[in-house]
Amino acid sequence: MAKNNLTRRQLLKTTAAAGVAGTLFGPWKHNRVYAAGTDKPIKIGITSDASGQYANSGASDRRGMQMAIAEFNAKGGVLGRKIESTHIDTETTPATGSRVAERMINREEAGFLIGAVSSGVANAISQVAQKNGVIYFNTNSSSPTESGKNCHRVKFVWDGNGANFAKAAVKNSIDKYGDKWTLLTNDYVWGHNTAAATKTLLEQYGGTVEEEILVPQGTRDFSSALLKIQQGNPNVVAAAIGGDDQKALRQQVAQLGMGSSPAWINNQQDWPDVYGLPLDNLFGVFGTTWYYKLDLPGVDDFVARYQAMYPDTRMRVPGNVFYNGYMAMKNMLEAIERAGTTNNIAVIKELEGHKMSAEDRMQHHDAWIDPDTHQVQQSIYLATAKSETDDKDDMFEILNNVSPDDVRDTGAAAACQLESYDDTPTFDA
Amino acid sequence: MTQLVPHIFNGLTLGLLFALIALGFTLIVGVMEVINLAHGSLFALGAYFALAIIGGSWLGDTAIGEWWLALPIMPRYILALIVAPILAGLSGMVLELALRRTYGKAPLYGLLLTFGAALVIEELIRLGWGTGEQNLQLPQSISGAILLGGLIYSKYKLFAAGFAVFAIIMVWLFLEKTPYGAIIKAGAHDSEMVRALGYDLARLRLLVFGLGAGLAGLAGVIMVPIWGLRPHVGIDVVIPAFLIIVLGGIGSFWGSVIAAILVGLSVGITGAYAPAWSMMSMYILLILVVGFRARGLFGKKSALEN
Repeated sequence: MAKNNLTRRQLLKTTAAAGVAGTLFGPWKHNRVYAAGTDKPIKIGITSDASGQYANSGASDRRGMQMAIAEFNAKGGVLGRKIESTHIDTETTPATGSRVAERMINREEAGFLIGAVSSGVANAISQVAQKNGVIYFNTNSSSPTESGKNCHRVKFVWDGNGANFAKAAVKNSIDKYGDKWTLLTNDYVWGHNTAAATKTLLEQYGGTVEEEILVPQGTRDFSSALLKIQQGNPNVVAAAIGGDDQKALRQQVAQLGMGSSPAWINNQQDWPDVYGLPLDNLFGVFGTTWYYKLDLPGVDDFVARYQAMYPDTRMRVPGNVFYNGYMAMKNMLEAIERAGTTNNIAVIKELEGHKMSAEDRMQHHDAWIDPDTHQVQQSIYLATAKSETDDKDDMFEILNNVSPDDVRDTGAAAACQLESYDDTPTFDA
Repeated sequence: MTQLVPHIFNGLTLGLLFALIALGFTLIVGVMEVINLAHGSLFALGAYFALAIIGGSWLGDTAIGEWWLALPIMPRYILALIVAPILAGLSGMVLELALRRTYGKAPLYGLLLTFGAALVIEELIRLGWGTGEQNLQLPQSISGAILLGGLIYSKYKLFAAGFAVFAIIMVWLFLEKTPYGAIIKAGAHDSEMVRALGYDLARLRLLVFGLGAGLAGLAGVIMVPIWGLRPHVGIDVVIPAFLIIVLGGIGSFWGSVIAAILVGLSVGITGAYAPAWSMMSMYILLILVVGFRARGLFGKKSALEN
């Protein structure tokens, strides 16, 4: 019998040779396997704002994700692995978003990233995520560029965007209020893109933009803009003003009693931004993706689960931001389960084109993930403030629901160039 | 076509509000030569104290609570306008006690301490009142709109500007016409001499810091019905206040008031013709002025320069 002993020197030589060969010829894309052990928890990095303009919405977003994680962990996790999450504040600042994403991936070893309200932050996070091949869910930022020119193979966008909401509102509003419009636009990426979408639709349906008033981010006094609007006397003001700026605008429009004349189209109204305010602060027509009083199966149960998990939260009922955070996280975990692996490319393929029933989404129409843009195509609701209500929580009156087909953002689809699978680093989380 | 006159009027109104915001900041920097980065948090704190006083939720379901809520808004608002700044002033005094250890050291120590205090106050507000947007109720008589020259103006904003004028005059009278004001000014000019004359310098500093913090709180009560009320509302205050005192000249009372009005006019008029530049205009104004006069419009040599 031949003796087949390996000497220590041979072992070292073989190991060194394998290392060199691996470095020179190895599977370049398959570059991170740090958490592939099946007994390790699946680690999710939550990248939501806890300070800055979107701190309040960020908290709501986070609560939604955490409820989904808690529900999955209660039934044994995913693929037999527990779900663990870690959160770092992205401070509503793109530069911080980049740093947080780098840290989440390289130091916290997060296999998936989720969370955003600001489009600038979401874009910054997704660039880092794409570089590392880490799947990133943009839960709540709604600039059309997120699924347009800034789309990425690893990024999935869960909120309706400015173009979706504009499509739902523009034609109806021209017919109802008139064709002379003024645009009041926050001077940053989301504002510009939302205004651009509105302009395109106005041209298409015969409306005219009399004036566009650009408002810098961080504006607290809107009196100059409101004076200009009065002097211009448009039929409709289409406002794309977000976050704290929008809160200040609302206060000032309410004080002037300008909420009903001219007509106001407020692109999207996030629930955390309006909850608890007097109803005259909620002016005009606005969009949303979900409301806690939708008369649909599952909604009451969802509200009850929210109230059981967050009994002390000031917001007694969930809103659209919470809903998006919850749905995104739930679908991320379901996609891993369906894929049967945490391999990022396998999970991405599982998500692309994935259909979600109206019942599962607690919306009026079936939804799906557009494989070309990675944006969730979903029902859009137009709403206004409820005129008379004794229920402090029931602030919205849903005017109508629009199907995803009618509001598809074709501009984003034309602008989006997803990286190929080969150009996306692959790994098992 | 945009008419200029309403925008000039609007700019003046805005300038008076900026002056109100900067008043307490000016006082503390001018007299104590401490840059109080917690100014914005004290501004927010004042507003939240007013919210608690008007809303009365902390009284609970007691008979006093019910009686309080049954009162019209006006007396509750007036009480808030008086008591909330006092409470903010007392909070400022507590901060001054902590700040004492930094006196005589590099200004960076005071900056860091007040910055830390700002974060602590903001978190305390979150713990006490939650993270969401709140609404400060106003009496009917100062709510709503008023028609001037065919354009709608906010009645409350005109009230706020009028109140700012009142506050500026009262602070000026206090500094110029009362013995306390004379001691404060003397303390700013030559603190050693004031101490040699037998005045308690520590108590003087405590009083000035409390007064500055109280004015920050008062500005908060006045401004949040326009800006909205949220825990981080104070962030919006510090930069304009700092810019105004640098523009006006550190330590100059009227310099700050005039600088605030210039900032208001520049923001208001730019808002009419190039709204995207409205916020930037105040920084351009600062660069232009400081480019020619390094100490601002009415500034004199400050100990901070050492």
